[in-house]
Amino acid sequence: MAGKPKPDAKKTSKVLKKGLHQRKHKKWTTVRFRRPETKVLSRKPKYARTSVAGKTRLDKFSTFLQPLATEKALKIIETFNTLVFLVDPHADKKQIKKYAEQLYNIKVTKVNTLIRPDGKKKAFIKISPEYEGVDIANKIGII
Amino acid sequence: MVKVKASELRKKDQDQLKKQVEDFKNELSTLKVAKVAGGAPAKLAKIKIVRKSIATALTVIHEKKLEKVRLDSKGKKYQPLDVRGKRTRAIRRRLTKKQQNKLVLRVLKRKQNFPQRRFAVAK
Repeated sequence: MAGKPKPDAKKTSKVLKKGLHQRKHKKWTTVRFRRPETKVLSRKPKYARTSVAGKTRLDKFSTFLQPLATEKALKIIETFNTLVFLVDPHADKKQIKKYAEQLYNIKVTKVNTLIRPDGKKKAFIKISPEYEGVDIANKIGII
Repeated sequence: MVKVKASELRKKDQDQLKKQVEDFKNELSTLKVAKVAGGAPAKLAKIKIVRKSIATALTVIHEKKLEKVRLDSKGKKYQPLDVRGKRTRAIRRRLTKKQQNKLVLRVLKRKQNFPQRRFAVAK
């Protein structure tokens, strides 16, 4: 009959002194204590907060508020081949260029913008020389 | 021009409605130009009608988008928030009718077994 192995005397004494479950303490090698990485669960929502996507706020129609037909604006149309528009303040030059080309069937060389003192954005849309500014303005209805 | 009726718009499908909105918006931009360039009063009056038509069309589009979601989530415990109904913030935080009328078992049994009796006096 094989004898039962005798329990290690050292081990038993350690257990009796420190308890059955001894947690091994990790050695801190730095002075600073940083929070250890813990488990991070990904979201699994039980219901959607918004089930339908909302509409985009700045589309091609809402960028252009109105064309300007002031004396100065008309002069700019004639001499510089540039249309002047009041534009949504959140619109940027790239958007303005893209949407102007789509809406008015023109080719835009560049766009300059400024923000008026009353908070509205003014856009100077320079049209390429193959289009006549006056013609385009007539077509849109400005003149 | 008469304002578009929502009942008429509901017969259309999503693509038609989107196109309708685009047409309205095109019209709006021309009317706005007319306003700047000194247009006829008829045109200026039309601006409001067109704006409201755009609004009704967008409402119908949104309704139709939610229809499918409503059908899918009907009867389920957790519904998306826009299906639940907006009501008001305070109403949403109130106890439900069921929660208000809930009774302790003891009280429930008492009420069941000893209801308020009503007697009539025979003439």
